[in-house]
Amino acid sequence: MKSVEKKRRKLRICIVGLFFVFFFSVIGIKAIYLQAFCPWLNDRALEEREKSLIFRGKRGTIYDANGREMAVTSADVESITAHPRHIKDPRATAQALSRALQIDAKTLNVKLESGKSFIWVKRQVGPRKSRTVKDLRLKGVGFISEHSRFYPSGTLAAQVLGFTGVDDRGLEGIEFYYDNWLKGSDHKLTVLKDGFDRKFDTEENTDMSYSGKNLILTIDKTIQFITESALEEAVTDFSAKSGMAVVMEPDSGAVLALAHAPVFNPNSFGKFDRDLWRNKAVTDPFEPGSTMKIFSAAGAIEFGGCTPDTIFFCENGAYQIGEDVVHDSQPYGWMSLGKIIKYSSNIGSVKVSEMIGPQLLYKTLRDFGFGEKTRIDCPGETAGTLSFYRRWSKIDAGTISFGQGISVSAIQLITATSAIANGGMLMKPYIVQAITNSNGQPVESFGPRKIRRVVSAETAEAVRQMMKSVVEKGGTGEKAALKGYSACGKTGTAQKIDGKGQYAKGKYVASFIGFAPAEKPRVVILAVLDEPQKNHYGGTVATPVFRKIAYETLNYMNVPPRHEKKKLTASVAGDQLPMIVATVNGSLSMDHGE
Amino acid sequence: MFDRRFVQRFDWGLFGVTLALGTLGLMTLYSAVTADTQSPEKILVIKQMIWYCVGMTLMTVSFLFDYKSLDRWANPIYGFCIFLLICVLLFGKYVGGSKRWLALGPVSIQPSELVKIAVIIILARYYAKLANHEGFTLRTLLNPLILVGIPFVLVIKQPDLGTGVVILLIAASMTAFVKIERRSLIFMLTVCITAVPLTWHFGLKSYQKQRILTFLNPDMDPLGSGYHIIQSKIAIGSGIIFGRGFKKGVQNTLSFLPEQHTDFIFSVLAEESGFVGSLALILIFMILIIWGLNIAYGCRDPFGTILSVGVTAMIFWQVFINISMVMGLMPVVGVPLPFMSYGGSSVLTIMTCIGILMNISMRRFIVDV
Repeated sequence: MKSVEKKRRKLRICIVGLFFVFFFSVIGIKAIYLQAFCPWLNDRALEEREKSLIFRGKRGTIYDANGREMAVTSADVESITAHPRHIKDPRATAQALSRALQIDAKTLNVKLESGKSFIWVKRQVGPRKSRTVKDLRLKGVGFISEHSRFYPSGTLAAQVLGFTGVDDRGLEGIEFYYDNWLKGSDHKLTVLKDGFDRKFDTEENTDMSYSGKNLILTIDKTIQFITESALEEAVTDFSAKSGMAVVMEPDSGAVLALAHAPVFNPNSFGKFDRDLWRNKAVTDPFEPGSTMKIFSAAGAIEFGGCTPDTIFFCENGAYQIGEDVVHDSQPYGWMSLGKIIKYSSNIGSVKVSEMIGPQLLYKTLRDFGFGEKTRIDCPGETAGTLSFYRRWSKIDAGTISFGQGISVSAIQLITATSAIANGGMLMKPYIVQAITNSNGQPVESFGPRKIRRVVSAETAEAVRQMMKSVVEKGGTGEKAALKGYSACGKTGTAQKIDGKGQYAKGKYVASFIGFAPAEKPRVVILAVLDEPQKNHYGGTVATPVFRKIAYETLNYMNVPPRHEKKKLTASVAGDQLPMIVATVNGSLSMDHGE
Repeated sequence: MFDRRFVQRFDWGLFGVTLALGTLGLMTLYSAVTADTQSPEKILVIKQMIWYCVGMTLMTVSFLFDYKSLDRWANPIYGFCIFLLICVLLFGKYVGGSKRWLALGPVSIQPSELVKIAVIIILARYYAKLANHEGFTLRTLLNPLILVGIPFVLVIKQPDLGTGVVILLIAASMTAFVKIERRSLIFMLTVCITAVPLTWHFGLKSYQKQRILTFLNPDMDPLGSGYHIIQSKIAIGSGIIFGRGFKKGVQNTLSFLPEQHTDFIFSVLAEESGFVGSLALILIFMILIIWGLNIAYGCRDPFGTILSVGVTAMIFWQVFINISMVMGLMPVVGVPLPFMSYGGSSVLTIMTCIGILMNISMRRFIVDV
């Protein structure tokens, strides 16, 4: 009996053994199946840990004419991320992070306990803080390096520079216009990543060849600052709605400063009215008023055989053209062309235009670049409006000669004036003088470019003399007179057109265009104030802007004042002598006579 | 006691298999815990080695005395383990949402591991006394049902579904081995089948249900509860024939594998040593189990036979459930892989079991009088 029992037991052990072997065979077969017959599992493993990332190279820097930074991209900014699912102790992690980053622990804790697969802890953190967080060695906390665009001078030249969006693309200004140069190139990198989406072994950001190109502007930060300060002061003093001022080097067409008021800060552009973002000196046309008279006069001298001494009858203050009457602020009788400019007689100007006729007036203005884009390297340029002379009525021809019924951009006006200042050559205005690569080697450079000769050097000289008289005692721009430097200029006071196409009462654009020194102009300056409240005459409102900018800029540029120059030549003051020589040489080399 | 016969009878084969598994286990663990290069946890390997030393001692103790005396010790051992389980429920520490650990000074133990041995011994004792060729009837099975039911309920309360299931399976295997009377068997099967939907609705916690649902369809929630299964399968699958090499498992290194040093250690081994390695491991386990059954086969008294079958069943079920789970054949339940998974209690339990097997093996030649 006992042996039967034992045999039974042994049989049962064998059955149990077979049962166990069978089950083991199942897992054995499954293991073989998974490892030898499932290549897709291996593919999926690859797919999981190798990730192709698109890296964008660092955006190029924008420098001013002297190599001072105006817009920089720093790559040492990192954003701190978290993968809440991989965080075992959210509370401790939240506390550690809040201590290191000075953020609220409670809100962070809520985020970390949310069970999301990815959250931003803090975006764009400086290098020191991200180092601190890295040293904490927190599990489930990641880092993503980001580029951030920074404008070290804040509001300075904001409308010129523009700004970039979050995706590092230029949205306005130079940033937009030169975006293809500035932006870093995209490149694909295959990186090894782990279950927490952390990256391994990447050489991101170290490779400079993907960086964008740098821009060197013609803008000089110091002159820009002088210009902005002077403009802002005038806008405040006269309660103007807005204002703009441009400084240009007449011989080359290089823009040295381009200022707007009010300003905005490109570091936080979203907080400002969109209307302020535009570079209005380039994009917005306006009726210039009497500043146009200098071009009519230039045409009269060039094509009409006039001289500054040619006299015209100014109708004693009222001149009927068809149904319209043109007025002067004061009645004048017979007056020379020079005096018409000096006292800014509208009737005189009409007479001048009648003498040369619409065709030649039109030709002169077109030659000076009105009605056509200057092709300055800024986005959204306007061509202004100058209709074809055959479509002009009789009154049109008259008003256009004194700057009503025509619209121009500030950049057109200053470019045209530069042609008078430099001896008759229209230059292409430009704002970027060179493009360099990340090593600082130039890859492209933009020098002065002549468009055409507009008037002869003699004509230009004659107009300059007339403009000089404007700034002298009794002229409409006498307040623009500079201490130590001779200057030329022309005032402008234009009525604004309201919504209905009528000239609005009490709404003016006051402007002054001028250059200095008169003998050898180094800077052309345009100041435009929109709707000044306290006074609307260009001679009162815009002249102080010109005077301040011109005086400080010439000083900054080491242009010797007249009386000091005499003193110096007399006493030959040691080491100051080479400076003068340098200036003379500079002037010579900048001469663009044909 | 230490005479020549003792050395001759010592089960060198079983000892060899144990050593092989232990070494493989430590190596895989080393690879698994040093994977995360940013914060390697080498300390775990050292801890595990210490546990193995303690385990060796326990193993030695377990084969030095005659296993027949276990018959007398069965009740106290069982009682002590139940006491520990109650302590866990009262004073246990929470880890990851369940109370499984009892802190004893610097170390913590998992009584649910130890209780498996107690259940095996006490069932072996009961069945050995009452075994007959007719099989057990419902009435005679009531006692074992209570003996298994108490620790089962206490373990499920923690909750530790994996160990609970293992206890049930061990008990079921032992009971099936000693034979159940036919009508009782039919009755029990009917009860089990009806119990399944009832347990689903009332017995399981929502995370346990979730695990079973994601087992059926892991892609239902690839980043949540299905993540473990998918990642584990990917790791195993990317081992291919010969694997990536020791410490070169990428899925392991890059932290894709969850719990890679405890329940999912098989995927680390499979990724690094390919299907050659994983089959070898399964084969060694197979040898161990057949060895255990061979000891049962050679044993001349019912208590020793049933005891060795029980111990072998325990090893079998844990290996089977764990490997099935990491390969996606079974829902994820927390069952450690003997010798391989990190954990002191698991090492102590398995080494004690090996000691008991050795004990039976060494004394099978002693003529039963």
